[in-house]
Amino acid sequence: MVDQLPNLGREAEMLATMGMSSMDDLFSDVPDEVRIQGLLPLPDPQSEEEIIADARRLLGSNVALGQRVSFLGAGLYRNYVPAAVFQLITRGEFLTSYTPYQPEVSQGMLQAMWEFQTLISELVGLPIANLSLYDGSTAAAEAITCCVRVHTRKATQKDTVYVSELTPPDRMSVIENYCQGAEIKINMLRHNPDGTVMLSSAQDAAGSCGVYVEQPNPIGVLDGGLPLLKEIIGQNTALIVAVQPVSLGLVEAPGAYGADIVVGEGQPLGSPITGGGPIYGIFACSKPYLRLMPGRIVGRSIDVDGKEAYCLTLSTREQHIRRHRATSNICTNETLIALMGAMHMSLLGPEGLRDLAVRNMAACTLGKQKLSAIKGVHLPHASSHHFQEFVLELPGKASECLSYLDGVGIVGGFDLHRWYPAQPNWLLVSFTDQTKSNEIELLAAHLEVWVASQGVTA
Amino acid sequence: MSHLFDHHGASGKGYSQPAPVLPASELSLPDTLVRKQAPRWPRISEPEMVRHYTWLSKRNFGIDTGFYPLGSCTMKHNPRVNEVIAQLPGIADIHPHQPEHHLQGLLSIYHEMQYMLEVCAGMDQVTLQPVAGAQGEFTAVRCIQEYFRLRGEDQRTKVIVPDSAHGTNPASAAMCGFEIVEIPSRVDGRIDLDALRAVADETTAVMMITNPNTLGLFEADILEATSIVHDVGGQMYYDGANFNAILGITSPGLMGFDAVHFNLHKTFSQPHGGGGPGSGPIGVKAHLADFLPGPIVKKRPIVGDEAKHAVDDMWFGWYQPTHSIGKVQQWHGNAGAIIRCWAYYRRYGNGLKTMSEHAVLNANYLRHVLHREAEAAGVGDMIVDGAETKVAKHEFTISLEPAKERHGISAMDIAKGLLDMGYMAPTVYFPLVVPECMMIEPTETESKETLDTFAIDFAKVLQVDAETLHAAPITTPVRRVDEVYAARNLCLRHPYDDE
Ligand SMILES: Cc1ncc(COP(=O)(O)O)c(C=O)c1O
Repeated sequence: MVDQLPNLGREAEMLATMGMSSMDDLFSDVPDEVRIQGLLPLPDPQSEEEIIADARRLLGSNVALGQRVSFLGAGLYRNYVPAAVFQLITRGEFLTSYTPYQPEVSQGMLQAMWEFQTLISELVGLPIANLSLYDGSTAAAEAITCCVRVHTRKATQKDTVYVSELTPPDRMSVIENYCQGAEIKINMLRHNPDGTVMLSSAQDAAGSCGVYVEQPNPIGVLDGGLPLLKEIIGQNTALIVAVQPVSLGLVEAPGAYGADIVVGEGQPLGSPITGGGPIYGIFACSKPYLRLMPGRIVGRSIDVDGKEAYCLTLSTREQHIRRHRATSNICTNETLIALMGAMHMSLLGPEGLRDLAVRNMAACTLGKQKLSAIKGVHLPHASSHHFQEFVLELPGKASECLSYLDGVGIVGGFDLHRWYPAQPNWLLVSFTDQTKSNEIELLAAHLEVWVASQGVTA
Repeated sequence: MSHLFDHHGASGKGYSQPAPVLPASELSLPDTLVRKQAPRWPRISEPEMVRHYTWLSKRNFGIDTGFYPLGSCTMKHNPRVNEVIAQLPGIADIHPHQPEHHLQGLLSIYHEMQYMLEVCAGMDQVTLQPVAGAQGEFTAVRCIQEYFRLRGEDQRTKVIVPDSAHGTNPASAAMCGFEIVEIPSRVDGRIDLDALRAVADETTAVMMITNPNTLGLFEADILEATSIVHDVGGQMYYDGANFNAILGITSPGLMGFDAVHFNLHKTFSQPHGGGGPGSGPIGVKAHLADFLPGPIVKKRPIVGDEAKHAVDDMWFGWYQPTHSIGKVQQWHGNAGAIIRCWAYYRRYGNGLKTMSEHAVLNANYLRHVLHREAEAAGVGDMIVDGAETKVAKHEFTISLEPAKERHGISAMDIAKGLLDMGYMAPTVYFPLVVPECMMIEPTETESKETLDTFAIDFAKVLQVDAETLHAAPITTPVRRVDEVYAARNLCLRHPYDDE
């Protein structure tokens, strides 16, 4: 503490300047009835060395995925983030700034975010992107409330949206919390047994305010039918597509097949998983949504000398101006993490993004070949295309399989029973650019042993 | 100028990557899904990229660059060890879906943070899930909404906010579906109890208020306000953005509040470069605890062979509150921010009170010397206090109304003049109740010399003539930016040549 407070020991001098004699004088306006008596029941202050030692001890007891062979993804993915990103992000001018309320001294961050908007816009194929929302789930939720604001007047199914039934419950819960205040009715969009969207169910959504789907979807399926959706639901119903951004190195940009809003977890571009945060939510949209969209946005402008300059714009949508009529309550967002994303995207370039996507998909394809060869396991969506993860149907409980794999040092994936109660035997296995072929062999070998232990003869 | 999209060089391969485990030719995609046009991203080598972002950083002002007295934002120094800790693999490389026995260290830190915040706030249960102050507000108001629904008090449809409240307060309550009732503040900026009495009734669900308020004044009538709201059956919500003034001195619990959020990125120094990330945990009294978003962390003694994974011989587990509103962020909040704030708190421990005392000392000292230096320079009459008070808390407001009336110099002009002196400008035009408002928050990490020099420089800016100030700033990377032009000629991304 002593190294953080420059005026420790100078209190008397400063108080005297003000004609005060004790620190208590500064709190003369705080009534006795509400005063804390004595010290807070907390430990004594620690030095930097003690803190870092304890951090190493406590965090060292966590199992970092890098210590294991890991196939856990399910929405967050362990991509390699280049060293330059981590070095640059610690520059104090970036790290210790805040919302660029004074554009003249914030041009660096403003320009970087305008570039981020461009990078995201190009990535997803839509003209407008904001500076980030909190995460993929709040981006999805805000996209849904946004599409209702835009479309409900003309909609035949007022205040109604259709959300993919595969949406993970945790994400769904965020969506429900954000939607309940506006009394938005959420219907389920059905899927076929192969994991693709049931187009007849999509027909029901025509005339509603919006449809929310994910590509690849939560069970890893790349849905070749999504390009048909916009025509089915029509111009007055928003098509909202959530993406894993790295997949867009290979997979068509949703803007090219009619998506009106694209959202997603930005994390695989620029950020380690970090226990699920801070990461950043992507939000991009087409023109009709611009004035009712959430979040901050940077515009390119000029200064009084006509020189190129950047500033926040369209702020009249936001809470500090519009208060309870704002399009969202968001104020502090995830800009610094979005900046890491921008740096990663810059280094990749278009071909690098493609290569990265290929590496993810190649690992997944190899995984599919190796794991589907195991007798007794079955790929329920084998006929579909996958980008980086797929479902394995096991001859026993996925939770038990995961425990077994954990015992041999493998983080085997995600137990889909936690999302889909009817599927106790579904394991979601994920692959990234970090997955090696010998790791896939190792998983296959151990799965074979576990499957055999289930007494299965296929 | 350095423009990212001017770079078309490098090899066109991006940074070099290992070969895929299978050749690209073996991958198959449905024809409808093959990407047809690659994103028109730049092609830039690492040296060029590093130089570009370094150049950008030099055009940006942070706490590390200089004094950053941005009121309501608590721009204090960010201790560097926290950044080192947040990059350890035990936090950077962990997944929220890993089993509990993989995450005992993380969970124990969560538990310690929940406890520490409960103690500081005088609340019974904290959740760390909300990822910003505004999301904390939303979460707490949602919990209260479900609490009333369960009690069958559906008629409580209104949320009261003072007109001095931060914009997120009404925005968050409106997102929950509440009707907003705004009440005026008194001329001294404090809450108007009569106005509160006039609107509080059986339709009141929540009153949202911050204390010290957004003018930096302690609401001495707070107990009276809480009892007015409680008497009609409503709940009191504490906007904790101004916690930096009160740690260890008073608490929302003692003031009678039912729920509170923290802005950890302010009070506990999570760096939020450019506007985020944040962390906005909330604390509630026992009657609201069952409604919190889950999971939260509980601890119990270890059993069986748990010792091999345990830290400190306790077991830390996720727990779902019975009537939980569900989730507000898909994962476990901003874990990386929680870790940094934990490292920050450990530095102070039970000395957090000293931290708040110094925040208040610095604010009052600056308030004093600012007026003194302005007087000495003969420009004391250009500024007046935003609200009359003997002491301020961690921040204070001044009004430039006299300067505006007499010389046509606005708060914005002074702000721009301060940029020329090498400072970040204070918050301007907030709170809305103070005309030509400047809200100044020095924080505890600024030295007396910095405050003295700032006061002298501020007085210098007050002496500058209107014409010169209207033209300020002149020393910054760009001069006054035309925000109207930006809004009229929307250019929200790089215009490619064919567009
Ligand atoms: C008084 C007050 N309340 C609430 C907030 C909202 O917090 P956040 O920006 O973390 O969402 C802020 C800060 O921006 C604030 O100053």
